[in-house]
Amino acid sequence: MDFRSLRSLDEVLAALAELGDAACVLAGGTDVMVQLGRGEIAPQTLVHIEHVGELSAISCNGHVRLGATATHSSIAESPAILNSYGSLAAAAASVGGWQTQSVGTIGGNIANASPAADLLPPLLVHGAVVSLSSASGSRTLSIDQLLTGRRSTACAADELIVAVDLEPVGARTADAFVKVGRRSAMEVSIVALAVRLTLDETMTTVTDARIALASCGPMAFRATEAEAALIGTTLDDDALRAAGAALGNRAQLIDDVRATAAYRRRLIPRVLGKAVAECRQTIVNRSESQT
Amino acid sequence: MMSVSLNINGRDRSVNVDGADTLLDVLREQVGLLGTKEGCVEGECGACTVLIDGAPVDSCIYAAAAAGGRQVTTIEGLARPGDYSPIQQAFIDGGGVQCGFCTPGFIVTLTALLRRNPDPSRDEINNALSGNICRCTGYSQIIEAALLVAAAATSTPTPAGAVAQ
Repeated sequence: MDFRSLRSLDEVLAALAELGDAACVLAGGTDVMVQLGRGEIAPQTLVHIEHVGELSAISCNGHVRLGATATHSSIAESPAILNSYGSLAAAAASVGGWQTQSVGTIGGNIANASPAADLLPPLLVHGAVVSLSSASGSRTLSIDQLLTGRRSTACAADELIVAVDLEPVGARTADAFVKVGRRSAMEVSIVALAVRLTLDETMTTVTDARIALASCGPMAFRATEAEAALIGTTLDDDALRAAGAALGNRAQLIDDVRATAAYRRRLIPRVLGKAVAECRQTIVNRSESQT
Repeated sequence: MMSVSLNINGRDRSVNVDGADTLLDVLREQVGLLGTKEGCVEGECGACTVLIDGAPVDSCIYAAAAAGGRQVTTIEGLARPGDYSPIQQAFIDGGGVQCGFCTPGFIVTLTALLRRNPDPSRDEINNALSGNICRCTGYSQIIEAALLVAAAATSTPTPAGAVAQ
């Protein structure tokens, strides 16, 4: 198998234009090398992008932009991410072990589009916009437009995911990420959920709610029905019950090696309740620390 | 096949690899460094952990060609026989080794942690070791060994390692 370790984005895009389907992009390799080892993929050429310096930065000029090769470790430790996008930092810190986090990248997690990809629920609730580039141009897609199915995205063979932009976080808004596995480390999630919640000025009524779920269907998704069940409420028990039920209905649950569909169905409303409570508490704490 | 130059344990090496060859296979089969172990071959168990530019990486799922131009440190690079690093000595003193298969991976990961943070808490040790699996020890002695080194780091002027002896 050929291997091209490239140093600039232009070189990478030229290689992808030349090779098309015969190329496989390789960053940290934590998914690609496993798939190669299992014989699931057999590209002619690995296009190695780990050393393309312009792709690895996390910047915050007005809004937060993550380069495609920002590693899980760098995301989990970034002050900008920890301050405003705690769910994303928590998700990055829960991907595999330190060895995976030190080389695995956000671009790889998105491109692999695993049903259990931990970073996708936080990216969905934060309205992530993915920038794709090819030798012939660039375009942007929202993360939910990019994801098209199980291990499938709208990224064309000659395109590279280059960056991810996050929507700014306004006042009285907080997020949370809750992952359930069979053990607390090195676990592919049974349910992974992110919530982003905004309260009104009285800190009682929900003005915006975003909920996204992974490991509960062929791909991670935003659950607009469950969101609608929370917006305008005071997060009373009825509202949470309705949102939990809507979330369970939207999920396409299966029995697999990690858990049964029935277990996931019982888990979903509890995980939602935990994440919502965490969001509300964070908003209250921030408000108290400002006064 | 392509030629890749990398630095292994302080020594520049040139190896011929296929693009899909893992760093683990090259270390064991071409370079003859057998201390790095092959466990799951899927990045789950950490037995194959090496340092690449100081960061712990599962060499079983890292392309050897991707390590070109970089500093690779294996268990063999951490000490010579009879001249153990503080964490190696603490494993010996604290009973952190049972069957020994996972030990190089644990030592390499803990070396990375202790370089970043010479006095880690128990939680920080647990967190750092989440990608290393041991089926013998139940982890307690391994974590205690790391805490021995952490304690030594804070009790100056005693050199790290001496406390554990």
